[in-house]
Amino acid sequence: MERQLAMVLDLNKCLGCQTCTIACKRLWTRDEGMEYMWWNSVNTQPGRGTPRDWEDLGGGFREGIPEPGRIPTRREFGEAWEYNHREVFYGENASGSGGGAGQHLQIQGEKPDWGPNWDEDQGGGDYPNSYYFYLPRICNHCTHPACLEACPRKAIEKNADNGIVTVNEDRCRGYRFCMEACPYKKIYFNQAKKISQKCIFCFPRIEQGVAPACARQCPGRVRFVGYRDDRDAPIYKLVDKWQVAIPLHPEYGTEPNVFYVPPIAPPRYDENGEIDELNPRIPEAYLVSLFGPKVIDALVVLGEEMAKARKGEKSELMDLLIAYKWKEMFGGFDEDPAAIEWVKS
Amino acid sequence: MKASYVSAAALGTLLDPDAPIWSSHSPERVSMLGTPAGMQPSAAIQVAWKGRKIGAIERAEIKALHNGEELAFRLEWADASEDAELPDNDSFPDAAAILLPAAKGAPLMTMGAPELPVNAWYWRADERESARHLVATGLGTSHTFDRTGVRGQGHWKSGRWRVVMARALRMESDQPLAQLPPGAETGFGIAIWEGSSAERGGLKSFSGNWLPLQLEPTTSGRNG
Repeated sequence: MERQLAMVLDLNKCLGCQTCTIACKRLWTRDEGMEYMWWNSVNTQPGRGTPRDWEDLGGGFREGIPEPGRIPTRREFGEAWEYNHREVFYGENASGSGGGAGQHLQIQGEKPDWGPNWDEDQGGGDYPNSYYFYLPRICNHCTHPACLEACPRKAIEKNADNGIVTVNEDRCRGYRFCMEACPYKKIYFNQAKKISQKCIFCFPRIEQGVAPACARQCPGRVRFVGYRDDRDAPIYKLVDKWQVAIPLHPEYGTEPNVFYVPPIAPPRYDENGEIDELNPRIPEAYLVSLFGPKVIDALVVLGEEMAKARKGEKSELMDLLIAYKWKEMFGGFDEDPAAIEWVKS
Repeated sequence: MKASYVSAAALGTLLDPDAPIWSSHSPERVSMLGTPAGMQPSAAIQVAWKGRKIGAIERAEIKALHNGEELAFRLEWADASEDAELPDNDSFPDAAAILLPAAKGAPLMTMGAPELPVNAWYWRADERESARHLVATGLGTSHTFDRTGVRGQGHWKSGRWRVVMARALRMESDQPLAQLPPGAETGFGIAIWEGSSAERGGLKSFSGNWLPLQLEPTTSGRNG
């Protein structure tokens, strides 16, 4: 039977700590050629994102027709730079006694003007109505993957059992049509191996019943994992039953399987400094520009259920989002990775 | 085109694009065509390249020599930019390939077909001292099965690429390969990718339908 794994991220709980980013980095992108890859990234919204201005780089579909896109450069993704850690920590190359005491942490080489999280916490709006929230992103493992359809070599595969989209590295010849086609710009070119690489939804963990590292390592209980059609698990309830989890940029036409519970903003202050309960500090138009018009309905439902809970009434939705029981977030993929004997193939 | 028999030429000599033996044979001048946008194997590529120039390289010169054991092609073409490195995600290498039918009636335009394989020798500027050996049975199906069977060497000088690709005339393999005994008459095709124009995969210039190739018999006259 064809099934689809999905992820729901509750943006109200994301603290921007990048634990997901580092969990992914340490597990999957430490080899040569992968230095600049962040299969998981967390950016501040509003912001230019990673790669820089990725929403303006094209790709995806418009009315079912592929929309031409551009390959992001390494500079747009933001390359890793080096610091003089050894000098600072161990006093190497330091003059006089005291070693690193007289050293300052400094970037080595060309001074960068962009990085993968360059505009962190800048956000938008003006005081006292300034605002921001964090947006973690991975590959959306789309139902209609533009990358897969663009590849002339059928090197990108969508697994029929779980819907995970992967690059077959034996077939990939590094043409990078997938990088043009992906509207989320979540595919990276490995210059050492001359192939494209991307998030694999931690499929070797999935095969062992373990949730993806970005989800399991999240200290904020932001990420739910599971099959779309598992009616007893949180994904189905949040996406289909309560309809509070919606994809990013649904207008790109790829039908993502990563969904977001939109951020609930505090109210604005009006010009007299009074609280304006009717207008949220995050402009609705901005959220609509990210998540489409359904975000408004989702916020209404979230508001109603929050009000219920505040009155002491039972709310299935609030209980789900609070995630009282950590393991229940993972739709059955709750095995402990430390208890598994991993074999590197 | 005749692949002349040069009994005394060792493989190492043939692999040198500047070896004097090459200059004593005159080239075949070939007009190259861009592959049609409508034939690209995915809709995304078709849409992106509709109305864009495909096939930046419009002319090439080719020579072929064999020494009774190996066949070598030397391709030469004008190219203002040497694209031999991949400094960024949007850089692509210059590249060239020789296509040979591996079955009677194999179509060139579709890179072979099921049951009608073609055999390609593929060189690219970022791997300039080697070449890849490929088979294909249709667009998008080519696969590299061997990185040593085809030898390659190329260099760029004063706005021109000179590339030699060579292989044993006969090769045992479980892959469907073109067998090229002296005296054989077959066809060949040329493809060239211009890296600075983002040409890769099916985006390339090619020499049209099969060009005739005659391998000079080793028993007849010896020239070279």
